[in-house]
Amino acid sequence: MEKTFLSVISVNIWNIVIALCNLLILTLIVKKFLYKPVKKVMDSRRAAIDADYAQAKAAREQAEEDRLNYAAAMEAAKQTSDQIIADAARTAEHRGNEIISEAREKANDIRRQAEADALLEKKKAEDDMKREIADVSAQLTGKLLEREINAEDHRSLIDSFLQEIGHDDDK
Amino acid sequence: MTEEMAPDIHSKHFKAVDRALIALMILPILACMVLKIIYTPATEGVHISGALVFYQNDAMPVMPLIISESQVNSWGVMISILGLCLYLTHGLTARAVTKRQLVAEWIVEKCQNLVNENMGDYFSAWGPFVTAIIALSAFSSLICLLGLFSPTGDVNITGGWAILVFFLIMHYKFRGGFWNYFIGLFKPIPVFAPMNLIGEFATPLSMAFRHYGNILSGAVISALMASALGGLSQTVLGWLPGVLGEIPFLRVGLPAILSIYFDVFSGCMQAFIFAMLTMLNVSGAVPWDDWNARKEKRARRKAGAAQQPAA
Repeated sequence: MEKTFLSVISVNIWNIVIALCNLLILTLIVKKFLYKPVKKVMDSRRAAIDADYAQAKAAREQAEEDRLNYAAAMEAAKQTSDQIIADAARTAEHRGNEIISEAREKANDIRRQAEADALLEKKKAEDDMKREIADVSAQLTGKLLEREINAEDHRSLIDSFLQEIGHDDDK
Repeated sequence: MTEEMAPDIHSKHFKAVDRALIALMILPILACMVLKIIYTPATEGVHISGALVFYQNDAMPVMPLIISESQVNSWGVMISILGLCLYLTHGLTARAVTKRQLVAEWIVEKCQNLVNENMGDYFSAWGPFVTAIIALSAFSSLICLLGLFSPTGDVNITGGWAILVFFLIMHYKFRGGFWNYFIGLFKPIPVFAPMNLIGEFATPLSMAFRHYGNILSGAVISALMASALGGLSQTVLGWLPGVLGEIPFLRVGLPAILSIYFDVFSGCMQAFIFAMLTMLNVSGAVPWDDWNARKEKRARRKAGAAQQPAA
């Protein structure tokens, strides 16, 4: 077999065609075996990242919504509790007033009763005193009668005496 | 690994596939090296030439079909890149768990950004093409670090790529209508027509020769440098007794430093430049105004045709 070298510059149409085809074939190789798989993987990663972002966003929105719901619930609970406390206070006040007025009435009753009793007692004492005085005057009369005075003097003395007592009593 | 879809990266099967893919990356290059070693004739001294011819078929029309080192190495690089792609995308998960996935995503993202920035969103589907150009060009140039012939040092290879780019540029230029394109050649004044025409063909030609020339010149300079240093070593250190005098000590070190520039830096740079020029030329080729006017006209005609039967 002849072993030769080409000269430094040698143009050969077939070699040009072969080189041209080589580049085309290598382009297809690079496209099919490097670009396609790598782009596919990158796209799938981007899709996964997008999905993650969407999920995170949804979760954040959910959390925000929950927070608002919670705040609303708290507000409602606070209002209810305020209402309950106000109701209780009003009821207590009402009841206290009732108790106080009842007590006052009872006290008034007791006092009135006591006044009436006192009045009755006083009258009784007055009557007793009158009777006593009558008794004393009778005795006094007897004593006076023992002295000899006329009847006229006797009567006027008693009357004046009684008058005096009655007068004292009215004051 | 808690995800149900995630492959078990510690399983025996996964590791076996990994090993097979790494083999797919390395074996083609090794095969190229073996092929070169088998076919290279014993030569003396520095030897600057094109690719080694493996097979020649004179029966083909127009020109004989020659399968040389550039073609074989190109195919080796392509298979290697295929293995690299498969390896990087092996065991991808939505949640990146392996380093190689980060590398794969970094590559795709960077290339896609490059395309989007330089070509606009309309051309965002061009990512694979640009990535393929960069990968094929860079790996083809870097293969010379292994002592193999760089396919990019062969004008036919870069010429083939440039012609493909030329077709693509033309495809976009004709979007505005062939007549508009033809008139465009006579602007700003009709005298410019020949120069405009040359300019059209200069683009792929300059792209092809720039890339090829840079890589080949790097290889030539490296070879010349190595030979010069070898000669210098023999002259300066030839007095050393026995075998020591025959070892070219001065060749150690300096060629490696030069190689960093001419092979590594220049190779990557040219790959980037080729991709950049491709992107700019293709995206700049679209005559937006003409094209939009044409689309509008076509839409109007379609609407008119739809109205005609109704009336």
